[in-house]
Amino acid sequence: MTPFKPTRRTLLKTGTAAAALATFGPGILRHASAQDADLAPYKSAQIDWQQVSGETITVAVIPASYFENLITLAPQFKALTGIDVRFEKIPPAQIRQKSVIDLTSKTGTYATHAADPMYYALYAANKWVEPLDTYLNDKALTDQAWFKLDDIIPAWRSANGIDGKLYGMPYDGEVTIQVYRKDLYDAKGLKPADTLEAYMANAAALNTPNDRVWGAALRGVAGAGQNMYIYPSLFREFGGDWMKGGKLSVNGPEAEGALAWYVDIMKKYAPTAAANWNWPDIADAFSQGTVASYIDAHSSASVVNNPEKSKVIGKVAYARWPKGPSGKRTTSIWNWGFPINSALPEKKRKATWLFIQWAASAETQARTAHKFAGPTKRSGVNRTSIWKDPDYIKLMSGFGDNFVEATMGALQDDTDVDWRPRVPQWPAIGDTMATAIQSALSGQATIKAALDDAQRRIEPMMRG
Amino acid sequence: MTAKRLRGIALLAISMVFLLAWAFPIIWSVMNSLKTDSDVLAYPPKLVFTPTWEAYRDVLFGSGSILPNLLSSVIISVGTTIVTMLMAVPAAYALARLRFRGKKFAGFYVLATQMLPPVGIIIPYFLVLRNIGWIDTYQGIILIYLSFSLPFAIWLLVSYFEDIPFEMEEAAYLDGASRLKTLWRIIIPQVRGGIAVTVVFVFLNAWNEFLFAVVLSGNTVRPVTVAMFNFVSVEQTLWAKLAAVSVLAMLPVVVLGVVAQKHIVKGLTVGAVKGGGRR
Repeated sequence: MTPFKPTRRTLLKTGTAAAALATFGPGILRHASAQDADLAPYKSAQIDWQQVSGETITVAVIPASYFENLITLAPQFKALTGIDVRFEKIPPAQIRQKSVIDLTSKTGTYATHAADPMYYALYAANKWVEPLDTYLNDKALTDQAWFKLDDIIPAWRSANGIDGKLYGMPYDGEVTIQVYRKDLYDAKGLKPADTLEAYMANAAALNTPNDRVWGAALRGVAGAGQNMYIYPSLFREFGGDWMKGGKLSVNGPEAEGALAWYVDIMKKYAPTAAANWNWPDIADAFSQGTVASYIDAHSSASVVNNPEKSKVIGKVAYARWPKGPSGKRTTSIWNWGFPINSALPEKKRKATWLFIQWAASAETQARTAHKFAGPTKRSGVNRTSIWKDPDYIKLMSGFGDNFVEATMGALQDDTDVDWRPRVPQWPAIGDTMATAIQSALSGQATIKAALDDAQRRIEPMMRG
Repeated sequence: MTAKRLRGIALLAISMVFLLAWAFPIIWSVMNSLKTDSDVLAYPPKLVFTPTWEAYRDVLFGSGSILPNLLSSVIISVGTTIVTMLMAVPAAYALARLRFRGKKFAGFYVLATQMLPPVGIIIPYFLVLRNIGWIDTYQGIILIYLSFSLPFAIWLLVSYFEDIPFEMEEAAYLDGASRLKTLWRIIIPQVRGGIAVTVVFVFLNAWNEFLFAVVLSGNTVRPVTVAMFNFVSVEQTLWAKLAAVSVLAMLPVVVLGVVAQKHIVKGLTVGAVKGGGRR
């Protein structure tokens, strides 16, 4: 055995290897990669990225892989702009609470945060966040030809806008689609449902609790983002209108029809425990082979295809929401966006905008998705152009049959800005509706009584 | 004999049921923490499986290591306990023994601070800390924890102090001891059990606190209760890791409980019966 004696040549070689590793392995050598990262695609924008170099901003995000990927790239942002970003990870329920406290007290702790689209009405009514067009139209801050706002999924932009003004820049989002077991459907000669009626019939055909397979599962647990995430789609598909004659109404025949369908499928064909399930629980059950179909976020595809957990890989296929009696399909319209906190001093607001512009840009979206070096790629990119990129499509079609088509179809045709009532009182309304739906699902109240009661509670909120 | 024996068996059976009900969640957590993610979800639940330390390795030494969070929790809990006890012992003694104007009111006032629902005072606390620049600092969190641990500790200790016969103090005064010296030399050794109980409960409350911590902490100060919650992400719940963190977070408390158990049992019974300290 010869002892290892480095010569100039071997040193050079290892040096090159290290540099290569630094370039191709940002997950391993994060800090080294920052200097070497190719910043050219960003520098082609006709703005001075370094204009507020030296600033530090704090960004609150939720613990989720799509934000983890962004955090991994933060050294590139620092190299590009000289701005330090401190990320704080806060669970979804608390991030709403903490950011609202921060905004009401005007303390400016979070320069921006992962924001719930349903909160913009409240934010804008109180002028807590900045209208983004000020920044978009400032030639010193934004190169519009480079940024291409129009490329960002229109439904998400309108969801994050109030009276035509954009308040939060979509970063990552999702739509709800049908996810089903191709093998089980094929065995019974079933087709993915085109209507809610057919969906119910499919669930009935596949429901065999004795073999530990249930027909369907939907989010049952109470919460503005849980049962009140599924129900609004049903309400709209049954022809419901949140703002009937300028007045918020949550009861009436359409609402009763929608809730009856929801209660029916959960009682007859879902596991009993599903009344307390949120979507990670549904995805876990589906990945264990106990649920034949569910309707939920397209991003759950990565969970049901996780090789470490899932037993149904290769047996999963997708379809758009079934149509309701009104003939419409209505997906959820969800995205995590970044607003700018109005309480910040001007320089920090500019720094925040540069961060938002960087995070929402096509280049960063691609680098956190199909071009990401780590194991989890994002499936909720904000750009239409990326959804049409063959590399991205190739990656996404690995999730199963019809995934890209169902997701894109839902994004383009099934989104509905009035999916949920967009009023500043939403947080309280969402909770009231969630409780009403739960009392109907659990059989504590009849459908009509639950909805009429919710209407009674909501009316004073809208006056006050 | 048979009747007595039957009764014995019945009692044993009943206590086993209660013991199982109490121990089940803990046993379940420990088991899940040693499983792989696919074993956690398996049905029927696997009672026999190949244990793996992977979840522990990940939560201790992986990218999202909780070691700094455990340290955070230790600093907060120990700090809260020390400051609470330093203030609560003299305060409880004063309320139990001294006669001063407004004593009744002071006693009630201490209790009244416990009557507010915590959720209602989070935002005022946030604003106060924000204004003095103490958000996301140890002194800030400890200060807020004092607001609930101090009244609790004072009221727990008062009952112990009241149980000490006044004659003991008088004897000490007759021998020329000052009030402070009496407190330190005579009284405190008498309420050791009560102090141990109070320490354990104050420590436990601080260690398990979540509501205030999640709002008032940030990146610098982040106790394990808050960090743990991040294993329940929007995308999936990492059951094995969550269980591993729970077990790790439980350990110091269990150790403390075992060490202090003798005192706790004694302290609780002494405090329970009014005048129990008098023989």
